[in-house]
Amino acid sequence: MAQLVVNGLSLGSIYALVALGLLLIFNTVQIVNFAQGQLLMLGAFIGISGAVTHELPVATAWIITAVAMAFIGIVFMVLVYFPLRGRPPFLVILTTIAMGIVLENLALIIWGPLPVSMPSPVHGAPLRLAGVVISMHQIFIFVTLAVILLLQFLLLTKTRFGILMQATAQDLHTARLVGIPVNRTIAVAFAFGAILSGIAGLLVAPIFLAEPTMGGSLGLKGFVVSVIGGFGNMPGAVIGGLFLGLIETFGARYISSNFRDAYAFIVMIAVLVAWPRGLFGEKSSEKV
Amino acid sequence: MRQNSFKNVVLSAAVVCLSSGVARESKADVASCGSPIPFGLTTALTGNLALLGIQARNGVEFAVDEINASGGIAGKKLVLTTEDTGASSTDALNAMNRIIESKPLIIFGSMISPHVFAQTEGVNKSETPFLVGATNAKVTAQGSKWLFRTHVHDGQLADLIPEYLVKSLGKTKPGIMAVADDYGLGASKGIQAALTKLKATPAAVTSYAPSDKDMSAQLLEIKDKGADSLILFGRPADVTLVIKQMNDLGIKLTTIGNASMVAQTTLTNLSAAEANGGYAIGGMIPQTSPDTKILDWAKRVQEKYKVPADNFTVSYYDTVYMLKSIIEKVGCDKPAIRDALAATKSWKGMLIDYQADAQGDLAHTLGIYRNKGKTPELTGPIKENGF
Repeated sequence: MAQLVVNGLSLGSIYALVALGLLLIFNTVQIVNFAQGQLLMLGAFIGISGAVTHELPVATAWIITAVAMAFIGIVFMVLVYFPLRGRPPFLVILTTIAMGIVLENLALIIWGPLPVSMPSPVHGAPLRLAGVVISMHQIFIFVTLAVILLLQFLLLTKTRFGILMQATAQDLHTARLVGIPVNRTIAVAFAFGAILSGIAGLLVAPIFLAEPTMGGSLGLKGFVVSVIGGFGNMPGAVIGGLFLGLIETFGARYISSNFRDAYAFIVMIAVLVAWPRGLFGEKSSEKV
Repeated sequence: MRQNSFKNVVLSAAVVCLSSGVARESKADVASCGSPIPFGLTTALTGNLALLGIQARNGVEFAVDEINASGGIAGKKLVLTTEDTGASSTDALNAMNRIIESKPLIIFGSMISPHVFAQTEGVNKSETPFLVGATNAKVTAQGSKWLFRTHVHDGQLADLIPEYLVKSLGKTKPGIMAVADDYGLGASKGIQAALTKLKATPAAVTSYAPSDKDMSAQLLEIKDKGADSLILFGRPADVTLVIKQMNDLGIKLTTIGNASMVAQTTLTNLSAAEANGGYAIGGMIPQTSPDTKILDWAKRVQEKYKVPADNFTVSYYDTVYMLKSIIEKVGCDKPAIRDALAATKSWKGMLIDYQADAQGDLAHTLGIYRNKGKTPELTGPIKENGF
């Protein structure tokens, strides 16, 4: 039972990280990026290119990945968001889906179809507590999630950039009128969103292997987690992620492993029926 | 003496006339082929089945390139048209329609059974020999006289894996874990039925979605229910994850599975300790061959495609050469090629002999492997009952 909890929380932490990247972009431009999972996949492969192909120290590969992902995030914004800005949101969302497919096939061409592993930045024997095994990498995942959540919270609530971001999200035109560098703010949001996905990819690669199609399912789970937690709510995304990880793991163990993926969507529907704005969604007014 | 000489002359003349006649007839048959000779291939080159589909492309393309480099078939080059099926059966059907429009002499289908099921009716209408590696046992039970399979199928594995586990390894309470798709679930059912015949009961029957990455819950269930072994049926990527997670959780069970257990893709991503001791029964792989020519072939395939050759690569490669020998005998008449395929007896491929049964299955020999560290060792070939 305790082992299931540890493994469920570990899986849920990955979902939460994907969701945090998704929310950073959503909270700035009110667009759901359905290619977030594919950005995660790119992060994993860039990390592997550094740490495995070029045999760089893992820490260096992480830094290179973060820089590359920031650049990719900005390119993504220029290609996907800017040309369709102001159009109906579903057009942008469809474009993110299309971009996800493009990225997946691009990865297939560049890195090939073979699944590959990446070394973890942490080493050491797993902890064994009363029969429960916790690997060093699982501990690293929990710590990384906690640090990122804290940093993101501080960034959005305690820094000038966070305030600019919130202003941009609330009313883009007014923000521009009062002199907020809207484009730069959006670019930073896309860059950070991509970096978070890249970090999730780097955390996933040592335990789940990296392959070009790995992002689809993880991206979708990140979306489900965001909905469960209440779209736009960071603590909600983290709690939603951990909750989903536990539900999937316990469901697979005690109900049936055949429906593991279905549990995510059943829970999402149930939560939406009971709490239409998600578990921690805030009531919001609409402009009329 | 003179009579004998006369007899000899007459006999010699008859032999010369007969042999030249045969030669002329054979030459005429190959001469009936257009130039170049068109082959078609539909397989998954993109999407989440690309790792599998690419093996079919590699095997067929490598053989076609070799044949063309050595002068083609009776001087006529082969031209291969390939269409990507992606991961969906609808796209597979569309890909097949495009291939049929190009009027190939032969069509190679993929190893992905749902795609082949979707394509078979169209191929039947086009009356074109259709050679596949699809592993669902029912693929050749569709009643198509144009469809042939040159790779072993799940029905054979589902019988042989439990038999080996129970009779040779002495394990009677295995946990079963299979990928939840046509490939894995079909095999899982067959394995359960075979275990029942052997009077063995699985401790737990579990599965995972093809996109699943965390199988720890299933492994813990198998452990908690007291399994003495694990039958694992999946693709190389997920088999790798299961073995890794088993190791992480400290679960030690004798594990036997399909050829994914010994695939290079799997072994590359496992440590020697993780891989060691795993058993596999499946299509024959080239890496364990003692023949240096075969090892050299595997090396050249890997150099060209950056993907290690596996049991499917071998099967598709063999299929092209089998067709070459048939075309050299019967020319480019599609019904004649079909009849020759159906009459195949002991055609020697790279690793196994092919022999057609009444349903159109040509592969009946499998390999039993055991990993010694990260190196698979061939324990022995095993033949399907009746072959």
